[in-house]
Parts: sequence; C-alpha cells; structure tokens
Amino acid sequence: MHSLIQLSIAVLLLPLLSFVILIFFNKRLPRRGDFLGVGILGTTFAISLYIFWSVVVQAYDPAFRVAWDFTWIDLGNVPGVGPLVIKMGIVIDNLTAIMLAMVTLISFLVHLYSTGYMAGDPRYGRFFAYLGIFTFSMLGIVLADNLFAIYIFWELVGLSSYLLIGFYFEKDSAADAQKKAFLANRVGDIGMWLGILILYSQFHTFSYQEIFANLAAGKFGMSEAWLTAAGILLFMGCVGKSAQFPLHVWLPDAMEGPTPVSALIHAATMVAAGVYFVARIFVLLTADALHVIAFIGAFTAFMAATIAITQHDIKRVLAYSTVSQLGYMVLGLGVGAYSAALFHLVTHAFFKACLFLGSGAIIHAMHHEQDMRWMGGLRKHMPWTFATFTLATLALAGLPLTSGFLSKDAILAGAIGFATAEGGGVYWLIPFLGFFSAMMTAFYMGRQIWLVFFGESRTHLKPADDHHHGHDAHAAHGHDLHHEESHGVHEVAWNMRAPLVVLAALSVFAVYSPDPLDGAKGWFMSMVPTPATVVGSSSGDSNHSTAASPAHHTGILLAEAVPAGAHGAETDAQPEGVASEGHGAEAGVHGEAGAHEFSDPRQAAIAHAAHEAHNPAIMISSVMVVLGISLALVVYVFRIIDPDRTAAGIRPLYLFSFNKWYWDEIYQATFIKGSVVLSKVLSWIDTNIVDGAVNGVAVVTKKVAFTSGGFDRYVVDGAVNFTAFFVNTTGALLKKLQTGKVQTYVVMLMLAVIGYFIYYFTQLIS
Amino acid sequence: MELLTNIGLNHYLTISALLFGFGLFAVMTRKNAIVILMGVELILNAANINFLAFSKFNGGMEGVMFSLFVIVLAAAEAAVGLAIVINIYKIFRSVDVSAIDTMKE
Repeated sequence: MHSLIQLSIAVLLLPLLSFVILIFFNKRLPRRGDFLGVGILGTTFAISLYIFWSVVVQAYDPAFRVAWDFTWIDLGNVPGVGPLVIKMGIVIDNLTAIMLAMVTLISFLVHLYSTGYMAGDPRYGRFFAYLGIFTFSMLGIVLADNLFAIYIFWELVGLSSYLLIGFYFEKDSAADAQKKAFLANRVGDIGMWLGILILYSQFHTFSYQEIFANLAAGKFGMSEAWLTAAGILLFMGCVGKSAQFPLHVWLPDAMEGPTPVSALIHAATMVAAGVYFVARIFVLLTADALHVIAFIGAFTAFMAATIAITQHDIKRVLAYSTVSQLGYMVLGLGVGAYSAALFHLVTHAFFKACLFLGSGAIIHAMHHEQDMRWMGGLRKHMPWTFATFTLATLALAGLPLTSGFLSKDAILAGAIGFATAEGGGVYWLIPFLGFFSAMMTAFYMGRQIWLVFFGESRTHLKPADDHHHGHDAHAAHGHDLHHEESHGVHEVAWNMRAPLVVLAALSVFAVYSPDPLDGAKGWFMSMVPTPATVVGSSSGDSNHSTAASPAHHTGILLAEAVPAGAHGAETDAQPEGVASEGHGAEAGVHGEAGAHEFSDPRQAAIAHAAHEAHNPAIMISSVMVVLGISLALVVYVFRIIDPDRTAAGIRPLYLFSFNKWYWDEIYQATFIKGSVVLSKVLSWIDTNIVDGAVNGVAVVTKKVAFTSGGFDRYVVDGAVNFTAFFVNTTGALLKKLQTGKVQTYVVMLMLAVIGYFIYYFTQLIS
Repeated sequence: MELLTNIGLNHYLTISALLFGFGLFAVMTRKNAIVILMGVELILNAANINFLAFSKFNGGMEGVMFSLFVIVLAAAEAAVGLAIVINIYKIFRSVDVSAIDTMKE
C-alpha cells in the first residue's frame, strides 16, 4: 500500500474516531470533549496538508493518480445479475488532495469557531460529535473510487446534515427544515441510484476507472439515450445535494441549523459534494446530458440571485447566494468548463465559509438577531469581522484581485465559449444568465454589507413586540446608543476571529494564481485539467477508439515518458498504465487550460472558444460587477433611489422575489397536496376495497366455521356424548342390581333358573 | 287313598321339592347368617333325598354313595361356613347378612 493511501485512511478514520468518542463519552470529558474534536481535526488537517503538499506541490503532475482497493463483498455469480463483486477503494489524484485539504481545513476552523459560538449549549458535546461524523462522510465521498462507496457516504452526509439542521429540534421550524432537507435529498438520491444501476447493468462494476474504460472501449450495450439518461439520473443526486432547481428549496431552510454548521455543510462542503460528484463522472456525460446540466445550473444561478436580493435574514441572503454560486459551478460543468467549476468550488468554499462564520459572529454579537433591517453600524464595533466579511464579499461578488474573480471569470469564459461553439441561439442564454447573476450577486452583497456594517444602528427600529432587549423609544438618542454599545455589540473572541482571518486570507487571488486576472495561469487549473470525454459527441463515434483510456484525460501529447524516480516516491508508486502516460507537467505548468488538445471535436471546439472568450469575459464580468456594486451604492449609500418606494412600485416583482418565486407554495400545492390527496385515495381504497375484500373473506370464513362448528358440536360431539350418556345410564341401572347383599343374588339366581326352565320347557313343548 | 298307600317315586320327589323350597326360602328370607347356613343344610338334604330315591328305584348303589359324599361334604361345609360366620362377626360385630353389603362398592 502506498504511504499516501495509508495517510488518507488515517484522514478518513480520525474524524470517525472523534465522533465515536464524543457521542458516547462527551459528558464524562472535561469541557465536553471539545478539545478532542478540535485536536483530532487539527491532526487530520495536518495530515491532509501533507498529502496536498506531496501530491500537488511536490509531484506537480496533472495526471498524478494513486489508487488502492480491496474486495469488500463477493457474492459470486448472482442469478439474473451476473458476477456481483463490490469493491471498496481509495483514489488520490490532484482533485482529491485539494478537496481533502479544503474539507479538513474548513472543518477544523469550524470546530475551532464552534468552541466560541456554541459555548453554553446544552448539547455542546453532541454538536462536535455530529461535526465529526459529517467530516468522516464528506472525506469518504472525496476519497471513494467507486459509485457504490460514494453512494454510501452520500447517504451518510445526508444523515449528518439531517442531524445538524435539526440540532435545535425543540424549534418546530428546525424539525421541519431537517425533514424537508432529508426528503428533498432523497428524491435526488433515488435518481442517482437508478443512474448507478444503469451503469452497473452494463458493466458489472461500480469502479469509475472500469466504467470509463469500458465506455471508452465502446462497450455500452444500449442506445446513447440510455447513457444520457444515466448521466442525468446521476446528476439528480447533485441536484438534491447541491440544491439545484428544482430541489433547491431545502437549502435556505437548512439555515435553521447552528451557523457554524451552515458554514461547514450548507455552504462550503456538503453542498459542493454534488458538484464534486458530477466532476467525478464528468467524462461519461453525453453532450445532451451536459446541456441539461448547463441549463439547470444557469437557471438556478439566476433564480437564486433574484431571490437573494429581497431577503431580510442575513443567513437567508447567504443561503440563496450559495444556491446561486452552486448554480455557477453546475453551469460550469455543463458547459465543459470542468477546471473552472472545480476551481470555483474551492474558492467559493473558502469565501462562503468566511461569510457564514462572519454572519455567525454578527448573530452572536447581536444576541441572535438575524434580521438585517435591525442591524447597521457594526463596522465600528466589529472591525475584524468587518474586514474579513468585506474581503469575502468582494470575492463572492467577483471583484478583480480576489479568488472569486478568477474562478467565476473562468466559468463565464467557458459559458461564452460553449455558446459560441454550440452555434449561439438559445445557448447564449447561459452566459447571459451567468453575467446577469454576477451583477445581482454584486448588488445583493453590496446591500448586505451596507445594511449590516454601515450607517447607524437600527436595533431600536425593531418593532417592540419581538424586541430582544426591550429598549424604549428614546433609544434613538446618542447616549442611549452608547449605552447599548456598552453591553451590546462587541467583537468576538479569538477562537471565532482566527478562522475568519484564515478564510479571508484564502480568498485572495495570490493563493491560486500569480496573475490577478487569469486563473488559468494558476496551479489549480493546471493541476485539475479538464478530462477528455469517454463518450464522444454524437457526431464522431470514431473518437471512442482514440480516447482509449480515461487515464489519457489530460490530452497532453508528450513524447517523453516519465523518467523513473524523477518525481520521487510518488511517481514510482503510480499504477502501471498511468506511470507510462506522459506526466504532462511541462504543458500543465506552462500551457493554459484552454489550450489542451482534445480528441473529441466538440470538446476541443468548446475549449478553444473558451480560451478565446477569456478577455471578453473578464471585461463583461468586471463591468457587471461594477454595475452591481454601483447600483447597491446608489440605492443604499447615496439613497438616490429609495429601495422601499421602488419595491412598492414593482410590488408584484418584489413579492415574487421576496416569496422565493413561490416555489414552496407551488410544491405545497402540487407535490405535497398531491401526495396527501393520493394517500387519501389510497387510504380510501385500502379501507373500502382491500379491507372490504379481507373482511368479506373473514365473513365467509366465519360462516363456514360456524356451520362446521355446529356439525362438530351437535353431530360428532352428540354421537360421542350419546355413547357416554347411554353407557352412563345403563351403568346406573345395572348398578342397582349389585346390592352387595348375598340374598338378592340368590333371588336372582333362582329367578334365572326359573326363567331358564320356563324357556326350556316352552321349547320342549313346541 | 291309593296315593297314601302306594308309596312311589313321586312321593319322595315331592318331599324333596318341599324340603328344597323350605331351604331356599330360609336362605332367601332369613337375616341371620347361621339360619341361612341351616337353610343350605335343608337344600343339601333335599338333594340327598333325590339321590336316595332315584337309587332305590333304579336299583344301583351309585345314589347311596353320592349321598354319603354329600353328607361328608355338608359337614365340611358347615365347618367352613361357621368359621366364615365367626370371622364376619369379628369384623362386622354382627351376623346380619343385610348389613354386610360391602361387596356393593
């Protein structure tokens, strides 16, 4: 076993250890064992960082890959199914290493942050235990090398999300939200499982590599429509987990969970699992499936952005922003901007975690006030939070010099390239929605920053009926404000501040790319190149043979083979077949992602067009961001446009956005009402028809039983009883003959003799 | 008067039958066990008369031999019967046969 594999097993199991210890013993440990959770996650992060260092920094090879598996379940040849062998395994490539480092880092920071945020909670220890099981499941998804394993961890992630959303289960809203999240995910998971089964039915394996190799060899026995269907069904898992339309409704409600959970699960990691999964299966998606994915992503990005504009709850704005950004990632995958989408996944994870933890700090400081209308002026009281939150906001809005700009720009360039390569028309809708959403993102984040941090405190404006502090009307006066400050808002402690600083630092462009305007020059997009499709476009089936192996995926044509030992132990340990590929480091470092040569003409055209579109994309997106921010300034800073009056002027639109496009109501009216009606109908059928049949059978049986019982009682028992009665009566009569008196016997003897003589003589006479 | 002067077999048999009837009557009606034994003696003697009468009119000696045996047996029977009666008396403190009905159960 490769040493990296051993380390990754440790990374996987340590959080599980944390969970097991904390869930059983947290009440017996000092401080409810929080130091254990933080310590274990710190260790896990350190190991992950070492893996990241070895793989991404030291090896610096786009094709790096280490794999290990073992047979988990061997059922032999199952009739009707074929050989059923389930393997478990781990694969480490660049993407895995990056994801490991990202997940463990954010998880560690959230653990640290929670020691401050959750302090004093009655279920403090259990919270850390749940964080542990979540981290374990998420790492399982990242490390899994086959569809079966990823499905198991997928469900585990769903479970931990369920537990954490409903952490305050005393609140009805939290209990409802956790159920909603679980059910919405379940809908997606059914599709995912069906997709897995379609692939399994063809190849009798769950392993990515084997499935891709079989597909590349053209062994898919059904029509291409089935392959498209498999891709879309697998994508349904992502729709559920990554909150894409139409299953996005659970994510905003999931904000009922504690804020650190929102940061870890519902912004940075779990929701990204869907995107990660689609990236893992990217090469088997057909062009049609990719189109569906692109449109769903674009629509989700746009819709969520429009909703985020009007929300009052600070976490809800961020939640819809998350849905919107996940839409970007899905859009990116759909248009073939694979590297860009994953790049956005990572950058988004950091700045969105920062935003959520920042909002948690604000909520903590505001004594659990979440409504932005009653905030304001926090800049002076919370300088650290303000600085980090603003930096992350700029990254989210996609301003140049931030990480978000690099990744979002790459996605939008990909979208333009896609639209060009596909021949325009309706495909231009995708980049259009992307740019429009980018503008709205800048607008609503500007609005949020302004409402929360600038201006004067509006705590006193809050209607008195649900006022936390119970201030009087004269609180508006200066000295009262001062009075409020003294016991009210204050900066959070170091254990909550440190994660903010780290995450904000990771939102700067320099972490990812030396060029503030071009992410493709950075290490991320070089190390995670777009793999070549194994299914080809519908026009060129002949490409099946050229894309001989998915290990070819870099598409970099290099004459030189890897000199043995050139890259140290890691390269040596690569499986054969990978080691013999060109390692591609040269081209990966110095070339650009868009310049890879793909054997598939469609993919090559898109990559080429995306490369061409890079500069226009930069310009348009910068303009859009500036437009969005200026609009926010005009509305909220200079108050040239009064937001309330504007909202009143376009009230139907405002309400449409404020009520989240009425999706909840639509689902309530269709699916939920429909289910209720359906279950009522079924219940009626059950009580009247099914039960009627059962009861009818019962009645008939009862009648038959009564008849047969009567026969038994009166005829059979009667015969038996009569025999007994007869014997009894006869016995009673005959008993009287036996008197015990000798003389009676003598009399009887005499009578008998006399009787005999009478008989004898009558015979004699006749 | 011929009936009284010319004594034949029927006379013996009639006497025997009467004697048997008395004996039987005594056995059936008396309560005292000893009286019952006496009734039994009457019955045995009725039989003896029959044996002797048939012997006389047939001319053989078999009837006489039989009646001698019967007399011997009667003596033995009386001894055994009285012993039984004594034992009964020891157990039941009575020789009333109507009281001795434990065979009923």
